[in-house]
Amino acid sequence: MLAGSRSDSLKDSSLGVSPSTVHQAVASPSCGEGALLVTRSSGYHFIVPGFGFLIPLLLLMVVVFDAPIVYMLALAFWDKAQGFTLGYYGDVFEAPVYLRVLANTVRISVVATIVSVIIGYPLAHWIRGLGRRAKMVALALVVLPFWVSVLVRTYAWIVLLGNDGLVNRALQWLGLVQAPVSFLYNELGVTIGMTNVLLPLLVLPLYAAMARVDDRLLQAAASLGAPPSTIFWKVYFPLTLPSLAAGTLLALILCLGFYITPAILGGGRVPMISNVLDTLINVYPNWGQASAISTILLVVTLLIFAIYRRIDQTTSTK
Amino acid sequence: MINRRRLLGMAAVGVPAISILRTRSASAQAKEIRVAEDGGVATKAFQSGFVEPFTKKTGVKVTLESPNPLGKLRAMVEAGQTGTVLYTGLGSVNMLAAKRLGLIDPIDWGAVDPAPMYPEAKKDYGFGHQYFSTVMAWNAVVKAPKSWADFFDAKAFPGKRALVDLPQYSLPFALLATGVPVDKLYPLDVNAAFKKLREFKSHVSVWTATTPQGPQLLRDNEVQYAVCSGSRVVGDPALGMTWDHGRLDVGYACIVKTSKPEDRVAAYKLLHEMSLPENQARYAEIFPVTGPNPDLDQYLPKDKLSTYPASKQNKAVQWLENPQWWNENGEAINKKWQEFKLGL
Repeated sequence: MLAGSRSDSLKDSSLGVSPSTVHQAVASPSCGEGALLVTRSSGYHFIVPGFGFLIPLLLLMVVVFDAPIVYMLALAFWDKAQGFTLGYYGDVFEAPVYLRVLANTVRISVVATIVSVIIGYPLAHWIRGLGRRAKMVALALVVLPFWVSVLVRTYAWIVLLGNDGLVNRALQWLGLVQAPVSFLYNELGVTIGMTNVLLPLLVLPLYAAMARVDDRLLQAAASLGAPPSTIFWKVYFPLTLPSLAAGTLLALILCLGFYITPAILGGGRVPMISNVLDTLINVYPNWGQASAISTILLVVTLLIFAIYRRIDQTTSTK
Repeated sequence: MINRRRLLGMAAVGVPAISILRTRSASAQAKEIRVAEDGGVATKAFQSGFVEPFTKKTGVKVTLESPNPLGKLRAMVEAGQTGTVLYTGLGSVNMLAAKRLGLIDPIDWGAVDPAPMYPEAKKDYGFGHQYFSTVMAWNAVVKAPKSWADFFDAKAFPGKRALVDLPQYSLPFALLATGVPVDKLYPLDVNAAFKKLREFKSHVSVWTATTPQGPQLLRDNEVQYAVCSGSRVVGDPALGMTWDHGRLDVGYACIVKTSKPEDRVAAYKLLHEMSLPENQARYAEIFPVTGPNPDLDQYLPKDKLSTYPASKQNKAVQWLENPQWWNENGEAINKKWQEFKLGL
């Protein structure tokens, strides 16, 4: 057990609990964090039974995860021949290649996320309205692909969408198209593949938020004479918005690091940052350059994550 | 061809921050050595062709590990890992890159005492143990091209193309297509090669990243013409291929910089086994890639000689990669390649 005096330094940095959240946590007894904390006049102290058991895990994380990341960040500033260097960062900003790839990655990620939202939101809403048993089946169908390896799912798209694939054969048989449609090895293929991976990640939290919406609120709005569209936009949508925003950003963050899907479905014509990093790390192997690009990617991701945290916090205090 | 299992390779490279404490066994004789190699069918061939006779003679066990990308070698050496002694299957350009980065040590050829080898296979830093070809292949239903000029002629030979997503496997072919003779290929006219590729880019529907991709795309009729690894397409009735003007390269086995001396003693004995033509023939029986012995043809089945990348008849119609040139110019071209791919 770790108590009182030793906890001051841990409090803010290690566990990421700032004094302001402590206030919120203590103020709202429903929040889980409240159980871990007591407030004294001198300040905030932890009484976390069994905290000692966490230390091995924390040490493991520091040694095998945090330290390598610091090492990785340092690689971009160090050159065997010259010592300290800013050359790798200079290269990133001088040559348009890497920034173009990064911009391309962000663009495709945004598109895939938006498509997921357009499909995922109505889907989650539809599931909410289903009967008990149908709801179970629908949720199971959403979750099922979640358990199948990304690799398998991605290759499955080749079987479905290839020139000789099921979809193209069906389209040609129906006479809808003359020549096979190029679904694969372009941005369309990558977007389809990514959306498929993202969908459960978006639908599940959305469904959870929608299930919490009290039907009586909607009924009240209806009894006051609001038409369905007004009820949706003024009552239902705002209640699910925080969850939608958080889920969207989470999906976007995941997209930025996609590797397998663009590698297989992009046909080398859809450059995304992870694939460029793979080439820099494994083929050339120019680790300094890879480190500089990774750092920039990390910063972009953290920025999005900061926005996510903001939204998440406002959600949990509502 | 390209590093096999590159998709999985990413996962294999952890960035190590701490050196593992080095413990050295008391006995100076290695009981077991670790060798990195290609994986897949090549593992079976390596086991039966080289490891079995070696273990029978020396009693030393060999553990094979795969995959073998260059990045993994770098990670191993920079972490000070002493486990793996031999890193096989490094293409000629990668072997020189490993040498430049200080990841490998010179081979003690006196200790290896090899049977005769082709000169390009016997290098200071590398034991060339496999010859592999990159060639043009096509779906058997389409018109067969005879030269790289035909392959890059989408009017006379209509159909989608797949090229390899690495400059050293694409630029030389594009240049040959412009009419440059094979013996004048190097020094490579980079601008002319890129010009040709830019003109042709719209016909390329896939840039392949792994070796099995090319033949698969042909079989699925996703593309009609593809640059492929010769061993993967030869003899397939659904596909056509020619060795003519193919790119012949050597895969090298190298001594890992941080490996233990007693392991190296054993590794040199393994290299000796790898130089023997009868062992190379047994390897080729399982994985149709041949070794560096100039008299190997006598040990191979006569009716299959046309299917091996480096049998005398096939070696004669291909050109050998120029690793020195790529070692000097590669880095600048890699960046140009990325720009070309992005359409800059």
